[in-house]
Amino acid sequence: MFEDVLAFAALPLAAAIVFTGIHTWFGLQVLRRNVVFADLALAQVSALGATVGVVAGHAVQSAAGYAYTLIFTAVGALLLTASRGLARSVRQEAFIGVLYVVATAATVLVVDRSPQGAEHVKKMLVGGILSVTGDELVKFIVLYSIIGAIHWLLRRPLLAAAGQNDTPTDIGRIAFWDLVFYLSFGVVVTSSVATAGVLLVFCFLIVPALVGGLFSSHIGVALVIGWIAGAAASAAGIFGSFLLDAPTGAVTVVTFAAVLLVAGAIRAFITAPAAERGRNRQRGLHMGGLVLCLLIGLSGAWVVIAPAGDHPILAMIETATGIGPDRFMTARERADYLEAAAIERRHKGEIDRLYDRERQSRWQGDELTPDEIRRIGSMQQTLTEMGRGERFVMDYLRTRGRERERWYVGLPLAAIGLIAAATIARRARRAR
Amino acid sequence: MLVLLSILGLPFVAQTLAAQNMRVVATTGDLASLARAVTGDLAQVETIIPAAADPEAFEPRPSDFARLKGASVVVRVGLGYDHWLDKLLSMHGDAVINRGGAGYVDASVGIPLLELKGSSVDPANRDGHAHGLANPHYWLDPANAEIITGGIAEASIRVAPEVAAKVIANRDGFLSRLKANLTQWEQLLAPHRAARLIAYHNTWPYFARRFRLNIVDVIEIKEGVAPSPARLAKLAATIREQNIRVIVHEPFEPEEASQLLARRTGAAVVKLAPSVGSVPAASDYPALFDYNVGTLTRALSAASN
Repeated sequence: MFEDVLAFAALPLAAAIVFTGIHTWFGLQVLRRNVVFADLALAQVSALGATVGVVAGHAVQSAAGYAYTLIFTAVGALLLTASRGLARSVRQEAFIGVLYVVATAATVLVVDRSPQGAEHVKKMLVGGILSVTGDELVKFIVLYSIIGAIHWLLRRPLLAAAGQNDTPTDIGRIAFWDLVFYLSFGVVVTSSVATAGVLLVFCFLIVPALVGGLFSSHIGVALVIGWIAGAAASAAGIFGSFLLDAPTGAVTVVTFAAVLLVAGAIRAFITAPAAERGRNRQRGLHMGGLVLCLLIGLSGAWVVIAPAGDHPILAMIETATGIGPDRFMTARERADYLEAAAIERRHKGEIDRLYDRERQSRWQGDELTPDEIRRIGSMQQTLTEMGRGERFVMDYLRTRGRERERWYVGLPLAAIGLIAAATIARRARRAR
Repeated sequence: MLVLLSILGLPFVAQTLAAQNMRVVATTGDLASLARAVTGDLAQVETIIPAAADPEAFEPRPSDFARLKGASVVVRVGLGYDHWLDKLLSMHGDAVINRGGAGYVDASVGIPLLELKGSSVDPANRDGHAHGLANPHYWLDPANAEIITGGIAEASIRVAPEVAAKVIANRDGFLSRLKANLTQWEQLLAPHRAARLIAYHNTWPYFARRFRLNIVDVIEIKEGVAPSPARLAKLAATIREQNIRVIVHEPFEPEEASQLLARRTGAAVVKLAPSVGSVPAASDYPALFDYNVGTLTRALSAASN
C-alpha cells in the first residue's frame, strides 16, 4: 500500500514541479503584459486544433495530430500578438476573453460531430496529472529545457517587449518579440494542458508568479520565490489528495489558493515595512473579528427567526461545546430521539446486509431467482422509506429542541455577536 | 396477370403502409435493437442517443425533439438513466407517447432490479450513478430481454392491434434464438465462474449475475469524477491481494486510471461494450453479447495461462 502511494504520488509530484518551473517564468511575463487569461485562450485554441485533428481521423499523439495542434496554436499566437495592436481601441483582456469563448464554442461544435468528443472536452478541463508516465515526464523536461534555454538567451528583448505597455515606438520589433513569446507559450501550454488540465495549468502559471511578485519586483528573485511556493503547493496538493481521498487536480488548485493566501498574510503581517505592518495587523484583527462576530450574531438571530431551518454554524458550536438540541428536549423526547437514531442505523445495516447477500449470490452458490431479487429490492425500498420516517421523527424532535434552545442559546449569541461586531466597527472607524 | 400482381402485391403494400405508420423511438441502441427484433419490418425504429457516445453524459438536441413528433411508440430505459426524455416528452405534448399513454414503454417495469438502495438514506452509497433508484444497466442480462421485449410488444399492439400476430411471432422467434445463444454464452464463460474483475464504472452487475462473475470493486465511484490517488492505491492493493487479472473498461470512459492500475499491477485492461453500438462489432443486441462474452473469455483465458 505505502509503495503504491509513493509510486502514485512521485511522478505526478515531479510533473507538477516541472510544470511549476516553466510556468512561473511565463506567469511573471504574463502578469507584466497584463494578459492573465492568454493561457486559457491559447490552450483552448490548441485544444480546438487537437479536436479538429481527432475528428479528421488522427490520433492525438500521432504526427498529424500534433501538426493540427501546432498550426492552431500558431494561429492563436498570431492573434494574441495582433491583440496588442488592437489595445488602443479595444481592451486587450476583452479581446483575449472573446478569443477564449469563441475557441471553446468552436471546440464544442466540432466535438458535436464526433460521438466521443464530450470526454475529450472534459479531459481538457480536468486533466489527469495523476496518470502521467515516466516517458511523458522526460519529454516535458527536454521540451521545457529547450524553451527555457531559448528564453534565457533572449530574456532581455522579451522582458523589454513585455514591459512596454503604451504605444511603443518600434511596433515591428515589439510585435516580433511578442510573437516569439506567444509561440513558445503556446507550445508550453499545449503540452501541459493535455496532462494537467486547464484549471491546474492556470494555477501553475499565475499563483507562483503572484506570490513571487508579492515579495520582490526583481524578476530573478520573484522567480525563485515563485518556484518554492509552487513546489510547496504542488506537494501539499498531491499529498493532500491522498489524505482527503479526493481528486488530485481539484485539491491542488485549492492548495495553490491556500499558498497564495498564506503568502499574502506573510507579506502583510510579517515582511511589510514596520509602520505598514502595524497598520495591517490592526486592520486584519478588525476585519477578522468583525467577520467572526457577525457570523455568530447572525447565526444566533437566524435560530431565533427560523428554528426549523439549517444551522451550520450553530451545529459547529454545538459539536464544539457539547450543548446540542437534545439538552433542550424533555426526557421523553430525548428517549424517542435516540431510539429513532438507533432504528435508522439498524435499517441502514439491514439494507447493506441485503445488498451484500445479493452481490455474493451473483457468483457464489445458487443463483437467486428473479422473485428473490425482487423481494430483496422491495425490502430495501421499504427499509429506505422506514428510515426516512425515523429521520422525519428526528428532524421534528430536533426542531422542538431548537425552538426552546433559541431563547437560551440563539438570543444570547445574537446579542453578543452583534454588539461585539458593532463595537469593533466603531473602533475600526476611530482608528482610521 | 393483374389479379396475380394484386394478390402478390397487396400484402407487400399493406406492410409498407404499416411500416410507414408505425414509428418506434428508443432512447438507447439496446432498446432500439430489441424493438427492431419485435416489430421486424412493421415499424421504422430510431435511436436518440448516438452509437458510441456515453449515454450517461447525453444531452438532447433540437433534432431529437423533431424525432419524437409523430412517433407511435417510445421506449426508454427508465430509472433516471434517460431523465432528459421527460422534458422532451412534456414539450412534445402527444398523449400517446407520454407517461401513461398507450405508446409509452418504460422498459424497466417488471425487471428484477439490482442495487435498489435508495441513495437518499445513505449518502455514502457509492454506486457511481448520479440519478435513479437502482442500477439501470439491466439490458446487460440477456434474460431480461424477455421482459423488455414484452413491454415493447404490448405497446405496439396497443397502438396498432392489427399487427398483434406478427409482433408475437417475431418476439417468440427472437427469444428462442436468444435463449439458444445464451446457453452458448454461458458455456463459454462457465470455466471462468467467479472470476474476479475490477470495472471502471458500475455498469456490470446484471452481466455479472447472469454469467456468474465477481466484480470486486469499481474505479470510478462518482460519475465523472476522477478517482483519488488514495483510492487507486487501495485498488492496486486489492488487485494484488486477490490476484485480479482483468480491468473492465468502456470505450468512452477516460482510460488513464485504468491504464495506470494496469501498469502498476500487470492486470489487463479489457474493453467491453456497455451498449449496442459502443463498438462497431456490437451491431445489435445478440452481437453485443457475442462481442462482450468473446472478448472477456479470451482475456480471462489469456490471464489464467
